[in-house]
Amino acid sequence: MWRVLCVSGLFALAACGGGSESPATSATTATGTAPPSAAAVVSTTDAYRFLNQATFGATEASAVALIAGGTQETAYARWIDDQIRQPVSLLLPAVEAAYPNPVPSNFNVGSLNAVRLETWFQNAVRGEDQLRQRLAYAWSQILVVSQIGALTNLPNATADFHDLLARNAFGNYRELLESVTLHPAMGVYLSMLGNQRAVTGTSLRPDENYAREMMQLFTIGLSELNADGTPRRDASGLLVPTYDQDVIEGFARVFTGWRWACPSTIPSCTFNNTRPQIAPLPGYNQIKPMQLFEAQHEPGEKQLLRYPGVALSGGILPPNQGGSADLKAALDNVFNHPNVGPFIAKQLIQKLVTSNPSPAYVQRVAARFDNDGRGIRGNLEAVVRAILLDTEARSTPPAEFAQVAGKVKEPILRLTQLWREFAAVSASGRFGAARNFTGGATAVFGQAQGTAPSVFNYYSPFYAPPGEITDRNLLAPELQLATENLNTQTANFFWTQVTARTHLNTARLNADDMYIDVSRELTLASDADALIALLAKRLLGDAALLPAELRSTIKTEIERTAVPATNPTNALATRVGDAMYLLLTSPSYALQR
Amino acid sequence: MKSSRRRFIKAAAAGGVAYAFGRTAETIHAQMSAVGGFADYKALVCLFLFGGNDSWNMLVPTSSAEYNAYARSRGGTTGAGLALERAALLPITPLGRLPGDPGFGFHPSMAGVRELFDRGRLAVVANVGPLLRPTTKAAYQTAAATGHPLPPQLFSHNDQQDQWHSLRGRIVSKTGWAGRVADIMNSRVGDQQLSLNVSLAGQTYFQAGEIARPYVMGAAGAATFSGLASSGAGLARRSAVESMLNSALRSTTNTVYERGYAEVQRRAVAAADRVNGALAAARDFTALPTTGATLSALQTQLRTVAKLIAARETLGVSRQIFFVSAGGFDQHDDQMADQPGLLGNVSAAIKSFHDALSEMGMENAVTLFTQSDFGRTLTSNGDGSDHAWGGIQLVAGGAVLGGRVYGEYPLLELGSALDVGGGRFIPTTSADQYAATLATWFGVATQDLPTIAPNIQAFSRQSLGFMV
Repeated sequence: MWRVLCVSGLFALAACGGGSESPATSATTATGTAPPSAAAVVSTTDAYRFLNQATFGATEASAVALIAGGTQETAYARWIDDQIRQPVSLLLPAVEAAYPNPVPSNFNVGSLNAVRLETWFQNAVRGEDQLRQRLAYAWSQILVVSQIGALTNLPNATADFHDLLARNAFGNYRELLESVTLHPAMGVYLSMLGNQRAVTGTSLRPDENYAREMMQLFTIGLSELNADGTPRRDASGLLVPTYDQDVIEGFARVFTGWRWACPSTIPSCTFNNTRPQIAPLPGYNQIKPMQLFEAQHEPGEKQLLRYPGVALSGGILPPNQGGSADLKAALDNVFNHPNVGPFIAKQLIQKLVTSNPSPAYVQRVAARFDNDGRGIRGNLEAVVRAILLDTEARSTPPAEFAQVAGKVKEPILRLTQLWREFAAVSASGRFGAARNFTGGATAVFGQAQGTAPSVFNYYSPFYAPPGEITDRNLLAPELQLATENLNTQTANFFWTQVTARTHLNTARLNADDMYIDVSRELTLASDADALIALLAKRLLGDAALLPAELRSTIKTEIERTAVPATNPTNALATRVGDAMYLLLTSPSYALQR
Repeated sequence: MKSSRRRFIKAAAAGGVAYAFGRTAETIHAQMSAVGGFADYKALVCLFLFGGNDSWNMLVPTSSAEYNAYARSRGGTTGAGLALERAALLPITPLGRLPGDPGFGFHPSMAGVRELFDRGRLAVVANVGPLLRPTTKAAYQTAAATGHPLPPQLFSHNDQQDQWHSLRGRIVSKTGWAGRVADIMNSRVGDQQLSLNVSLAGQTYFQAGEIARPYVMGAAGAATFSGLASSGAGLARRSAVESMLNSALRSTTNTVYERGYAEVQRRAVAAADRVNGALAAARDFTALPTTGATLSALQTQLRTVAKLIAARETLGVSRQIFFVSAGGFDQHDDQMADQPGLLGNVSAAIKSFHDALSEMGMENAVTLFTQSDFGRTLTSNGDGSDHAWGGIQLVAGGAVLGGRVYGEYPLLELGSALDVGGGRFIPTTSADQYAATLATWFGVATQDLPTIAPNIQAFSRQSLGFMV
């Protein structure tokens, strides 16, 4: 697919780049410094494209700041550097602060999930650590836990799990995997918590849930991959499974003996008696890694993964090593499987940049996962730089790939982008409170944070709608959320926002209703062309990106409302509302370039 | 564009009428029906139980030897065991039972299902699952060496859901069997104002066809577009939206993503008023009331289905396949605590839906059938079960030859000839046969069955015989 122009002399592990023909790309070393090359200005279109990949929505202000940071060769890398330095926005503190003190025995703990979601909206729209939060959101759709189901009354665990993803966004995947495995939110969600060894003389055997989903969804997937993310096929053309039932059972036996942390000094600290602590007292175990109870850990030999170069002989974990050593060795075993690089690389690319990356792009990023240039495997900072600074993410696609570049914007990002650019706020200061969404954010947009219907997330990364996309063997996962129902709910949300939830409406709004500032639009609204140009610039990055026919349609619509000489406000507001409604529900706005 | 030319050729061939190039698939289908539709109305309702239902506990053998094997395999009725107490089961006497056949009882929470079974309106299909050809344990264990075809990725949720949806086996396919039924039938269902396929539970491969697309509604009905109307400013706005979407679909310089999005949006705009108008005017049901009772999420979906069936003449539909779902069946944990609620909900929903259909005299025209990722292990993991393969499904409706257990209910013994480990049973009836039986009743011709159920010819019986 896309060719990468390589300047001779670059070492093999770095992504090629820096040629004068290609305006983007830098050699992606672990520190992100780029070789000097021809300087080219970052256009607003380029800046919007990058910021829509790396934040919760490009804005005029953030584009200006990015552009001021340098040239094509330096601005993006500098922006990433700066983002990594930003303090981490968290969810847990707000959830903890929301508990009454003391906590009454009939307190509805599950109600604090709403606090978590509001805090997440606030971080997504207002947080300075945009890249980290966007990555955490992407990770939360791969390493899924959800408030739906067993975690309903453990809101602190669910919140802290998301904070774990945010903290580790630029860390190492091996550490992240271990922290995720031992986090009680995951332990509850995929039933590793309380999993116990087989009982001789009975048919009782360990729970396979975490073993199965950890391999299928978090690390290697169901079938072997080439380094470029394409599936390997055997001589008959069939996919090659990565594991069989023996391996599932092997990992299931590894993941035994872990339960809620408790101090060993108290008598009730036993495997069967340990319980989650609800109130956020100091050192409470809802957010502490699970604790090992060796007596419930399966001591026997365990069959794990076999692959070229595997450290364990035959992939077999020897018996009687103890639960902690088993866990570490097992996670090493899966982490070092050659699938992990392409499996993770492709999904992160699809979440951030494009639904249909070229295999070469996937391969470049996977190679960076395998080795960050300093011999480290799983360096997520290096992977993120590789994804965002790659030529495929930064340069204009060649004509034959123009129709396939980019992706459908995740539905919730259509909301956060609007709220970011138009300074959305509520009178009470609560952000994205549930009453803003008929039936809840997930019912309107098909997704939110921590509300997935299952560990398979809100939508499948393999989804393609029938028709052109399927016919061309392409993917468009986010279109699984583009159903008649959800598209209607989303359109109605935007309709309400632009006609009844602007700064003009505050007198009639509830304190928690989010409203946007359209004062700049009102000033121009008597001039349809100027209004359209401003909105297109703010929402798309460049008015030239608005298709001509759509511009004409919007103009006709705007001009149906005459502006009277006296008391023009209502007419101007109608014009702004009509224009924004069309733009926000347009395919152009649904596209992430 | 290449793809619309292909669709045109398929559509024209099916209808045998020549059309000018460049019309959309929708206008082709709308015009193809010279004499539209079927004389009668039929609907299939797929109730998908997401997560893999522990279905051996839905219908349990009650005769001594069979019950004891079951109880032993499940680790008993207490502690970590998953077996139900024999005395608690709701006994049934299946028709066609021979001396020596085991008796059965439904899970204690399934009184509604049991009543329908007793009245001959519900059938049980035993040990059914995705299967490419009849498979023995030896064939399963040596499949890698011999090439005996098995469904790929058994025990993986999304793959097995796909297998039930699409029956695709090892071939690559992006269509589901309900979508393919819609493709085959589109030339016959006339000017239906609603897609043959309607989902109340999101988008799945089940209802994706080559040409046919499902209409996806919210559980409580189709939402109308605020701001769009049939007169005045709302009409002008609606025209603007349609114009915007049409120009996106016509464009050859935009992306596949914009066009994919615009296509759904246009369908949504076109259908919303029509569907909502029909729903608003549709009758209420005592069995699935609109006010005065709290319905479960599943019952809410089924109530909307019942209303759409009530509105069939307004919508001009004669064939429909509805998709509804319930979740939470992936019972690795707390199975004995959760199962009564899960199965109780399913039973109450199936019963109340049947009653609602009876209120409008449509119970013979509508067949509800369950599907689920897989059955679950007989053995316990301490407080739950894990992913398995063959399981039990239910079929309910007036056209069902109910009161019987179809297929072969296995002896639930560990290490038996069907057990491939941990109490995971190879199905003895295939999902293809299950689908083919339903599709035949629905009106699919015998020669078209291999399109619907690609593996059907590997099995000796194309019909399981549970439909009239």
